[in-house]
Amino acid sequence: MLFNSLEFAIFLPLVVGLYFCLPWRSRTPMLLIASCIFYMAFIPAYILILFVTITIDYIAGIYIERANGPARRAWLVGSIISTCAVLFVFKYFDFFTGNFVGLASLIGWQLPKPVVHIILPIGLSFHTFQSLSYVVEVYLRRQKAEYNFITYATYVMFFPQLVAGPIERPQNLIHQFHEKHDFDYERITAGLKRMAWGFFKKLVIADRLALYVNDVYGAPQNFNGLQLSLATVFFAYQIYCDFSGYSDIAIGGAQVLGFKLMENFNNPYHARSIPEFWRRWHISLSSWFRDYVYIPVGGSHNGIRRWLLAVMITFAVSGLWHGANWTYVAWGVLNGFYLLVGTATKDWRDRTFGLIGLHRETFIRQALMLASTFVLTSLGWIVFRARNMGDAWYVVTHLAHGWDFHQIGTEQFLLRQLPVAVASIVLLEMGQLLHGKVSVPSLLIRLPMAPRWALYAGLVIIVVMFGIYQKTQFIYFQF
Amino acid sequence: MPLSPQVEQDRDSALCSAENALAVIARPLESVPGPGREKSAPQKWARHSAWSGLIKIVCFFCLIVVLLFGLNAIINAGLRRIKTSQFGVSNKIVQGKINAEIVISGSSRALTHYDPRIIERTTGCPTFNIGLNGSQTDMQLARLKTYLKHNQKPKLLVQNLDLFSFVTSHEIYDPVQYVPYLKEESIYAGVRRVYPDAWKWKYLPLYGYAVEDMRFNWMLGLKALAGIQPKEDHVNGYRPRDTSWTGDFEKFRTNNPNGITMETEAQGERDFEELLGVCAEQGVPVLIVYSPEYYEMQAIERNRKDVLGKAKEMTGHFNFPLWDYSESPICRDRSNFYNSQHLNESGASAFSTDFAQRLLQSAIVQAMRKAH
Repeated sequence: MLFNSLEFAIFLPLVVGLYFCLPWRSRTPMLLIASCIFYMAFIPAYILILFVTITIDYIAGIYIERANGPARRAWLVGSIISTCAVLFVFKYFDFFTGNFVGLASLIGWQLPKPVVHIILPIGLSFHTFQSLSYVVEVYLRRQKAEYNFITYATYVMFFPQLVAGPIERPQNLIHQFHEKHDFDYERITAGLKRMAWGFFKKLVIADRLALYVNDVYGAPQNFNGLQLSLATVFFAYQIYCDFSGYSDIAIGGAQVLGFKLMENFNNPYHARSIPEFWRRWHISLSSWFRDYVYIPVGGSHNGIRRWLLAVMITFAVSGLWHGANWTYVAWGVLNGFYLLVGTATKDWRDRTFGLIGLHRETFIRQALMLASTFVLTSLGWIVFRARNMGDAWYVVTHLAHGWDFHQIGTEQFLLRQLPVAVASIVLLEMGQLLHGKVSVPSLLIRLPMAPRWALYAGLVIIVVMFGIYQKTQFIYFQF
Repeated sequence: MPLSPQVEQDRDSALCSAENALAVIARPLESVPGPGREKSAPQKWARHSAWSGLIKIVCFFCLIVVLLFGLNAIINAGLRRIKTSQFGVSNKIVQGKINAEIVISGSSRALTHYDPRIIERTTGCPTFNIGLNGSQTDMQLARLKTYLKHNQKPKLLVQNLDLFSFVTSHEIYDPVQYVPYLKEESIYAGVRRVYPDAWKWKYLPLYGYAVEDMRFNWMLGLKALAGIQPKEDHVNGYRPRDTSWTGDFEKFRTNNPNGITMETEAQGERDFEELLGVCAEQGVPVLIVYSPEYYEMQAIERNRKDVLGKAKEMTGHFNFPLWDYSESPICRDRSNFYNSQHLNESGASAFSTDFAQRLLQSAIVQAMRKAH
């Protein structure tokens, strides 16, 4: 079930109503049933995959807690292998066998390519990672094993964040299923406002920009440099608004029910360096990779070589997590490269800018850092969005070619969409800037009820009227 | 990914607070009210506050629903007030303001090929074009029924034939052109047959405008209420296209090196028969016309003769004549077209002149005059 569907508009009020009407002890089972219905709206049979991974990790969690020594480690390894095997079969089997067959043919082995046409279960990478974080945390004794199967299953399947995160840690979420959440007007309205902001990002910005991006990146050879550049900037905002919009809806929806999910984005395009960007972008995944890949591989405490290796492995795996395609791996490696080069040249850049009087605190330097971070990130998105490396190369090498200001629109994205697209991006940035300086909700709450409601209603109508409703899935559903 | 030594320090401090996290797990269980405990005053207050909060939320959503219905009604009313563009044509049809003696019906080919001014000038019969962009016979039939319901019966219906006339609509092209008129039985039934979910356009406020239309046509409705009409691009229903050859045909031909076969569907044939039947029943004579099509396109249509043969057979049952312009010299001159199917303004002018002359010389107009 998509958040931007009529079904969800009926589903959520029903679930919220039931949740607060039911006795406290029945609420978690009800949430589990609701989550199953939510998930089964995509491909019903795939609920069995979730059931298998949930059962494995539930049992493993208990045995990891009870066992000691090698047995404890064996349960952990067994659990990780079986959970990752599911991910591998459904997401990476075709990719790895295809590459293996390709490599074999280079040395003269002509192997038949085993083709398994499986549709990727929606959100598989997200709930797999959430399950993995549970067993690892239990192993590290930072989380007690959950003995109630329903509670554990609801932790993995909690519908607001089931298919695209935030990837929660057990310490943050499991205990919340043991708490009683009352009907709290302030909290519920705050959650609804957060959801409305998420819908604005998704429907008004992301899905509108998607019309342009899909046209241009579908056949980049048919477009001029201006269109390629515009599509690249638009994709930067599309992917941000699509994914952070989903996170806002998820966090807001959970908040309505009384749950607090972790923040997933913090104005990433306001970052002034690549490391800062990654502290602001997809925080739940970044911290997951930091804790479970980067630090175990070596982190920064084991010498420079180990650090280089840890950074590149983490980013390459992170790229692969996003999809079984070399473009994603290249995107990950490129970001790792940015980070290494950025760190290596930091002192040199500081000295050079210092010589011309542009110290770090000066406005021009800050603006330059912000712009250069955005440009580097957007170049990375080209590799991420392109259908293949050939297309990516074409886009990168033609960004500055043949700009034609008379030819901006595309077949799907008529020129009349452009003012709405630009205005909504400006509104987004203004909202984010304002939110960083003052608390917008607290300002609004001071208004008398009539103008406040008029303002809210007006915003809802804007989202309804200027939204794009083409049943487009959230980009991150495919990961 | 924040992969710096500082981040690892942050992580270490997070590890130190693991005990705190465990403490949080235990805490809420204490706050759960036990069975049999009497509700205290704060609990009663909380309950009261919850109810008032719920009522506020319900009221807000009711306000939104009322606003959505109100806005939908305003947009509908505005679009139905438009006097120009495609909405102007549809409005004239449902308001019964046309009452022409010759009515031209069909797809976008009819819409862009027949200039009613030329036909009217030559024949002396008031003429109107109700051609419908992006439509198959099923939706053309829906529009014709609506026309016949609200207007005087024409003395002649010119039904333009396409090679795809026997194919049903598989989607509704430009849905917003139908949304303000869903109270019209024939249009609603036609739309529902193609797209069963079209009930949402009718019953869910703004669904037809906000969800199905990305061109902001709803703004035209708001402007019309303020007295601002869209630019007029139709003349008596005819839409002239002052466009030169687009080159789409060359791409099409390259993509189909072995030519194309036009499918026909049993339902499409039934729709065409129904259209002829409706006219026969109401005593409206029908002239079927295959208007000019670019000759190079004709060459790659493999079953062209079969489809035209089928059309001849069907019109023969009703004794309606069929005029085929496939061999017209207009078809051989690329400058008359903007793509393989559609004449541009000068091509349409040439065709309309030729057609009107032929009509004048035929027995059809004589019979119309006699009846008059």
